Amino acid sequence: MNVLRKGAYAALMLLMVASLALSACAKKDSSGEAKASPSPQATSEGKTDSGSTSNLPPYKLRLVYPGAPQKDQKMVEEAMNKILQQKINATIELVPIDWGQWDNKVNLMIASREQFDILFTAQWNGHAVNVAKGAFLALNDDNGPYGNLLQKHGKGILETLDPTFLEGAKIDGKNYGVPTNKELAASGGVLYRADIAQELGLDLSNVKTVQDLEPILKTVKEKKPDMIPLFLRDGENFNSHYFAQYDYLGDATVPGVLLKDGDSTKVVPVHELDRYKEYLKITRDFYQKGYINKDAPTTTLSTQDALKAGNVFMIVASLKPGKDAEVANAIGMPGKIKQVEMTARTVSTGDTAGSMLGISTTSKDPERAMMFINLLHTDKELNNLINYGIEGVHYTKVSDNIIKPTDKAKDYSPGANWMFGNQFLNYLYESEDPQKWEKFREFNKSAKKSPGLGFTFNSEPVKQEVGAIVNVRKKYDPALDTGSVDPDSTLPKYIDELKKAGLDKIIAEKQKQLDAFLASKK
Amino acid sequence: MSLPTYDTTKVLDGRAQARKTTKAQTDLLVRENRLGSISAPANAMIHIFFWLYTLACLLPLWLVVSVSFSDEKLVVVEGYRFWPQKFSLAAYDFLFKDLTQIIRSFGVSLTTVTVGTLLSLLVMTLYAYPISRSDFPHRNVFAFFMFFTMLFNGGLVPWYLVYTQLFHLKNTLWALIMPLLVSAFFVLLLRTFFANTIPSELLEAAKIDGAGELRIFALIVLPLSLPVLATVALFQTLNYWNDWFLSLVFITENKNVNLQFLMYKTMLDIQFLTSNSQAAAELAKQGALINIPTETIRMAMAVIGIGPIVFAYPFFQRYFVKGLTVGALKG
Amino acid sequence: MLQPANLAAGVPARGKSGAKSPSFWKTIRKYWVFYLMMLPAAVILFINNYLPMFGTLIAFKNVNYSKGILASPWVGFDNFRYLFATSDAWVITRNTILYNAVFIILNLVVAVAFAVMFNEMRGKMWAKFHQSTMFLPFFLSMVTVGYLVFAFLSHGNGFMNTYLLPKLGLQPIDWYSEPKYWPFILPIINTWKNIGYYTVIYLAAIVGIDQEYYEAALIDGAGKWKQTWYITIPLLKPVMIVMTLLQIGRIFYADFGLFFQVTRNSGILYPTTLVIDTYVYQTFIVMGDIGMSSAAGLYQALVGFILVLVSNAIVRRVSRENALF
Repeated sequence: MNVLRKGAYAALMLLMVASLALSACAKKDSSGEAKASPSPQATSEGKTDSGSTSNLPPYKLRLVYPGAPQKDQKMVEEAMNKILQQKINATIELVPIDWGQWDNKVNLMIASREQFDILFTAQWNGHAVNVAKGAFLALNDDNGPYGNLLQKHGKGILETLDPTFLEGAKIDGKNYGVPTNKELAASGGVLYRADIAQELGLDLSNVKTVQDLEPILKTVKEKKPDMIPLFLRDGENFNSHYFAQYDYLGDATVPGVLLKDGDSTKVVPVHELDRYKEYLKITRDFYQKGYINKDAPTTTLSTQDALKAGNVFMIVASLKPGKDAEVANAIGMPGKIKQVEMTARTVSTGDTAGSMLGISTTSKDPERAMMFINLLHTDKELNNLINYGIEGVHYTKVSDNIIKPTDKAKDYSPGANWMFGNQFLNYLYESEDPQKWEKFREFNKSAKKSPGLGFTFNSEPVKQEVGAIVNVRKKYDPALDTGSVDPDSTLPKYIDELKKAGLDKIIAEKQKQLDAFLASKK
Repeated sequence: MSLPTYDTTKVLDGRAQARKTTKAQTDLLVRENRLGSISAPANAMIHIFFWLYTLACLLPLWLVVSVSFSDEKLVVVEGYRFWPQKFSLAAYDFLFKDLTQIIRSFGVSLTTVTVGTLLSLLVMTLYAYPISRSDFPHRNVFAFFMFFTMLFNGGLVPWYLVYTQLFHLKNTLWALIMPLLVSAFFVLLLRTFFANTIPSELLEAAKIDGAGELRIFALIVLPLSLPVLATVALFQTLNYWNDWFLSLVFITENKNVNLQFLMYKTMLDIQFLTSNSQAAAELAKQGALINIPTETIRMAMAVIGIGPIVFAYPFFQRYFVKGLTVGALKG
Repeated sequence: MLQPANLAAGVPARGKSGAKSPSFWKTIRKYWVFYLMMLPAAVILFINNYLPMFGTLIAFKNVNYSKGILASPWVGFDNFRYLFATSDAWVITRNTILYNAVFIILNLVVAVAFAVMFNEMRGKMWAKFHQSTMFLPFFLSMVTVGYLVFAFLSHGNGFMNTYLLPKLGLQPIDWYSEPKYWPFILPIINTWKNIGYYTVIYLAAIVGIDQEYYEAALIDGAGKWKQTWYITIPLLKPVMIVMTLLQIGRIFYADFGLFFQVTRNSGILYPTTLVIDTYVYQTFIVMGDIGMSSAAGLYQALVGFILVLVSNAIVRRVSRENALF
């Protein structure tokens, strides 16, 4: 019992001391905010963007991007540093963050003004919101604290990147991120199991419309009752923007669209389009005939995983040249997947701003950051280092541009080529089409531009209405788009609730902003 | 309490005499629950009921274990089964791939659990006791101060800013311990127990003997409160063990995350993709590689998460037995 | 030395409890140890809970990080509008409160019943066994529970539709598309998962009850029912009240995992499953606006606070010593 008493006193003393120490810490400046904007540095004055190392002080860049941390990261960083030190006297720290933690961590990093330089961003990942929050530096602002960064240190980018990319990604006339140079356009279609099709003697080469799919799906259902003929889910169905060609002019969750393959500049809610209603009807028909998976409205399986499981015949997908081979390899079914393009090839803002690198307002040397991004777009060696790792360790070269993974490949394979600079510099795997990049270029050139290209809707003025509508959409879209409820009875209810939540106000605002944008272009 | 007071010793002695047994024997009988316990049919019904309920609890868990040992492809196509259609250790293989990291994270978890639970018990009981004393005039103010925190919070971002900007606790072990130390829920629970199970006569007697407040607290109140202390200790152990959020938010050196976070990390990837269908579609379009754990892996994660709890609970349960408190009181 | 009039007259200051209590400084001097004992927890609370509360002003601002939170523009109540803009506003309020009310009642009644039964059971070994198993569901994360429920209710190969309903001669039901079943499904799941937790608390309380009460009642000839009703329950009252009041404080906060994971966030079910937390989460995922989610948090806190003040006041009238404060 004596021990207990002594112990109690001791513990109490300890706690008191600890708490006093903590309260002493609290005396620090309690504003909790670091300085708002970094002060421009003098190092950049009078320098050309070829930046010889002897003039630049050393600087460590922090690149934050989504993805799983890789085992051999340090090794790759060192190799990259060799190049970077020589060219811009900088070193790089790669900061990958798993997708599941991405939003949380990035929000906190931005809010706490953590120091980092380059951040992955995309229009579908809150780019507009973060710009509004003041997270990113304007890159082409002549009057900005660092001048027009793109002009000064991004010449390589401006030369190699199709101007449509930069045009499309602008917010209020300024660029806040450098888009990745990759496929520009998108088309919609289906991916299907070519081996099963062959087995059943099905020829999909004449499939042009959704209706054409009917006899195919019917046969699959009859002959292979254990398979799901068509796997749909919320966001991946005939009414997805990439299939039905809806240009949402920014965030796909804010109603009000143009048609990418049309010419009209009148913003309308999708349910006023004939195309939308037709797709609803056909999907409903397919669902009732049993072609579509019964849990389509609520399934959490991704379409790719569904294909991977082996019991799905066809999925709807956004296509580009070589997509079928890519998917087939990713799910371990090489050669068994083929694609059918069923829509026009189009380009919209969403396609141009789907993957960008932005410079944080907390960066201490934005000019160096821009130099780095410029190198990712122009330096073949650096680009392939960050994507594939070290030659001889993670891969071996089969020919000048074609590589083969070694068994150490899994120690460094971020699989994030579409985030880093210029994809046309990438090496190709043996199993890929050696003409892949040529086909991409041709694909890009042949695409039709959406009438809304270059415009991103700023939802600030109608923030509250959008917030309310998000939930209304969730109530109805998954069920309607997958055909699991009857559109004739459900659609009117849906429209009614949308209107009550402020749909008309949103559409009017979108139209207003679009008109202003179009006028300014003339 | 408005119960009639009996001089029970006299009455029981009297009865014992009538029965020609001693008081000690009567006590024994009472304590063994043979005298004055429920009827056999009622007892049987209770047993049957609990067996059914236990089944309702165990069957789903069995399902989880079964799926975790099954072959993935069959699970996706055929659904869950109570016995694996095809046995497979692939899920556990995947989770235990990086053994050094697992051991390290286990160490982190163990540290936070032990230090956290002990410290938190100490701190919370120290707060709960004063506010349980009806003679302490300021008790309601402090009770309110404690309770108010259950209702209002400033949100994730301000809280994060306080820890990282004000106190620079990012990436420290303390950041994994401090946020869970004081729970208003448990403090108020402790207070209620202290107020209702410690007879005031004991406290008066101790004061007359000249004992100081701290002594009374440590030597009288705490030993008498073992059931509630065990309860709170159990819950806090579980809180610290199960927490993954603090690791997510505060730890940037990946090696220093705790075990539950390590297990749960991949679950977050799924949640990300399922709650944000737009992101999912875009990532699919870009051909991004996200390692979505399979059904079997998710079940294996659940099994590992529960495992230690199954061992912790019986340990604490000892303290719930009647005998302990009765003995202490009479002593 | 001059003294204030009332002190000179020997009239003691009135404390919060309304009873005669010594003056403020006298209390501090007398009970100085208590203040010291409460200091550590108070400091921790201050840092962990009270300091961040300044963040509630985010609810009234349109935050721009490069300007800093303090310098960002004020927008009044704008951030609250989306909570009330739709016809859903009533639905989410109603759903949140009703479900939580049902949960509170079930948690109380079922847990106390279980605790009493455990206490009375003969064969302590079995009692311990059942207590342990009953506690296990509590440790499953809601994500896992979601999968388990799906295994039961899946339209295609769920247990209900493939075995149970056909055995009973009924048609398969599309569970995830029929809102009307969920007001029953959700309370069952919530109780199944959480009852172990509450039972343990009540059991610990019962164990602390002095045996002598029961012995006395026994001698009086009271049977088990009477003993339970007149001894156990009344002596459990303080714990029951505290637990209930604490839960009432959270009545406006829904268990996010339950309403999001278990329902698979199926939009069709929203009329009976949409609650404030899922509504806000949905918006936040899409819009990333912390002003709006902060506003929602403030709204929930305010309602919970008012409800607790009211309930606590009621409890004070009935049995003073059991009130929270």
